[in-house]
Amino acid sequence: MIGWEYPPFMVGGLGTHCYGLTRSLTHMGVKVDFYMPQTKHGATSDNRNLVIKEVGETTVFPYDRPESNEIAGQFFDVVARYNTLVVAKVKGTYNVIHCHDWLTIQASITLKDLLGVPLVLTVHSTEYDRSGWLHPNQWFIDIERGGMEKADKIIAVSQFTKRTIIEKYGINPDKITVIYNAVYPISEGKKQKLVLFFGRLTIQKGADVFLRAAKKVSEFEPGVRFVVAGAGDLLPELIKQAVDLGISNRVIFTDRLTDDEMKHMYGIASVYVMPSVSEPFGITALEAISAGTPTIASKTAGVCETFHNCLKVDFWDSDEIASKIISLLRHESLSKTLTENGRQEIELFTWDNVAEKTLDVYNGLNTARLKKQLEERERIYELNTAYLKHKKK
Amino acid sequence: MPSICLYFEVHQPMRLNHFTVFNIGANHDRSSDYFNRKLNQEIFEKVAQKCYLPTNKILLELINKYDGKFRVSFSLTGTFIDYCERYMPSVLDSYKALFATGAVDFIEETYFHSLSSLYDDLDEFEKQVHMHRQMIKRIFNYEPKMFRNTETIYDNRIAKKIAELGYKGIITEGAEKILGWRSPNFVYKPVNANIKVLLRNYKLSDDVGFRFSSRNWPEFPLTAEKYANWMSNSSGDVINLFMDYETFGEHQWIETGIFEFLKHLPREAFKHDNLDFATVTEAVERYAPVGEIDVPLAISWADEDRNVSTWLGNDMQMACFNELKNIGIKLKEKSNERLLKTWRRLQTSDHLYYCSTKGLADGAVHAYFSPYDNPYEGFMNYMNILQDLKQRVVL
Repeated sequence: MIGWEYPPFMVGGLGTHCYGLTRSLTHMGVKVDFYMPQTKHGATSDNRNLVIKEVGETTVFPYDRPESNEIAGQFFDVVARYNTLVVAKVKGTYNVIHCHDWLTIQASITLKDLLGVPLVLTVHSTEYDRSGWLHPNQWFIDIERGGMEKADKIIAVSQFTKRTIIEKYGINPDKITVIYNAVYPISEGKKQKLVLFFGRLTIQKGADVFLRAAKKVSEFEPGVRFVVAGAGDLLPELIKQAVDLGISNRVIFTDRLTDDEMKHMYGIASVYVMPSVSEPFGITALEAISAGTPTIASKTAGVCETFHNCLKVDFWDSDEIASKIISLLRHESLSKTLTENGRQEIELFTWDNVAEKTLDVYNGLNTARLKKQLEERERIYELNTAYLKHKKK
Repeated sequence: MPSICLYFEVHQPMRLNHFTVFNIGANHDRSSDYFNRKLNQEIFEKVAQKCYLPTNKILLELINKYDGKFRVSFSLTGTFIDYCERYMPSVLDSYKALFATGAVDFIEETYFHSLSSLYDDLDEFEKQVHMHRQMIKRIFNYEPKMFRNTETIYDNRIAKKIAELGYKGIITEGAEKILGWRSPNFVYKPVNANIKVLLRNYKLSDDVGFRFSSRNWPEFPLTAEKYANWMSNSSGDVINLFMDYETFGEHQWIETGIFEFLKHLPREAFKHDNLDFATVTEAVERYAPVGEIDVPLAISWADEDRNVSTWLGNDMQMACFNELKNIGIKLKEKSNERLLKTWRRLQTSDHLYYCSTKGLADGAVHAYFSPYDNPYEGFMNYMNILQDLKQRVVL
């Protein structure tokens, strides 16, 4: 498996997914070599079926499209170097190559041809998502399409993402399987009058809408605080927005938080808001709900296709978001019912389930391969028969 | 010889407008702001065309064809009658034509199809029954002898009150938890009151109401002939087939053959010497009670639980119910008829039904009947409106 991030170094759902998936897969007896860029934190494995192979040397870098050209240049170099190093480092025989998003696509394509084994690509987000569907960059799209075309099977994290892959990248729907993400439950803390946003501070995640809703809530509920957790290019802009709205004394910008800090935040928040413009899945919603925090999520988020016990909003509708935040703060009966039912429903979202379904995709590959071989043999047989018949005449 | 007692509940709720926290106390002065006139009119007219008008026409033809031997009973809620008068008087006329045949009976209930029978005292309940009585008297010049509470909610206290009010009989669900081994096909009486009780045969009723078009059901397709055979082979005095009237053409679409089923039902029934039809009043007049039922905790015909958990099953529903009750207490200290009317309209049980979070099997039914995406939306909207009403009552 070729990944990009893994605990303790993580900036997005991709890392969470790889962690959960590899752990469950290896517990099921699947042997996984997990390739990832070397970080100063150093990732380790406690399962002998799982070998973490760190490649090359890089410092922390953005996950998203960098805004400034200078960083962007370095970032693309880093990604390119990582992909080259992975190709050089891979040794041994594998049954399947499984890679994640554009960051790992180039190495995977090369390795597929080199090793002659099938390729599975999981799409956690596309360039359209990351750009908020405003100005998608053709360079990424081309890389993504290349990987999607080359992959034998594609795993999409939602129907929404599957549709994007079909409609925007022109990929055959038959080779795409939807597997929803899962969550390791987080423990509940002592709840405070605190409304939480957590995500990369980019156009995709909608922190600006969160601040507008926060402004409206402040007018009606004086004792509430708001937390914007996460790092990203828009941080300075968002701080300015909070000042302009006159709520800078109510909003706390935490910048990047560690895993433990984040779990603490989920635990003590009274409401979690995920107003993403484009959200292929949205694991953070499941994380918040698992910590007993009622959640308001964007209607179009992948998680909303399958999860019932959360409140759903249009991502641009800050008034509706504010109204729902206030309802949750005022009516314990609502929070309690959402939390209790949400916790029950979340038990269905386990990484073991994700791993089982992923394994089905792997197994389908082998059948597909066998089928292909059989077809090839049949074709040769027919050709031979035809040739013999021809000869007899 | 069992009498077939066909009874239909006819009800349409007043669905609410989208109402956010910011609409609370926002200085609007029209109670119609709470109710979504456009949506309500649309739905009413649609259901009238699909169900009320065509089904009434069929029933009228059948009553005439069989010379009044085919007999049915209805309960019409006050909110339904309001819609008829406001949007489609022709629907009301078709009920008047049915009633004029003498083969149709009307049943009493609360005007607003409310849960007022579950309040701490029964004053408001009695008031709403009285309002319904006046309405039926005004339109049909008739005083119902039988009573059916909202969604057949029933307990000993309600039975006693209805006996005191002078009704001959009361209708509820033939739930196993009150009958035990006994059959619903007899007339019973409550342990604590002198009144007769008709119990819904939920198996035979749901065969039509729920299972009629279900292809997974081993008995699919259900023909009138088969159904009449089942009834003829049933023992007991009375077979109570109680269902939503919207079963015909709305829950079960015309394409399922539900209208053909109805058209053929009397003929198939009359092929059996031991079957006839009776209205609910005739059923209690004709048959004596064979035993007593004791219902300390309320039952109903809703969901598989057959209790009141459909409306009061979670914290959100309890919060709204209590808020509604408390507003009423404050409201009755004042004499504001307009707010009182609004408060009563908000008591329609459907508003609480939309907040039900019951899972899967039952939840699917709720989703079908709800104008909201999920119960949480239903709660927030309803609660916001209750908060607004509360502010207006206190002002």
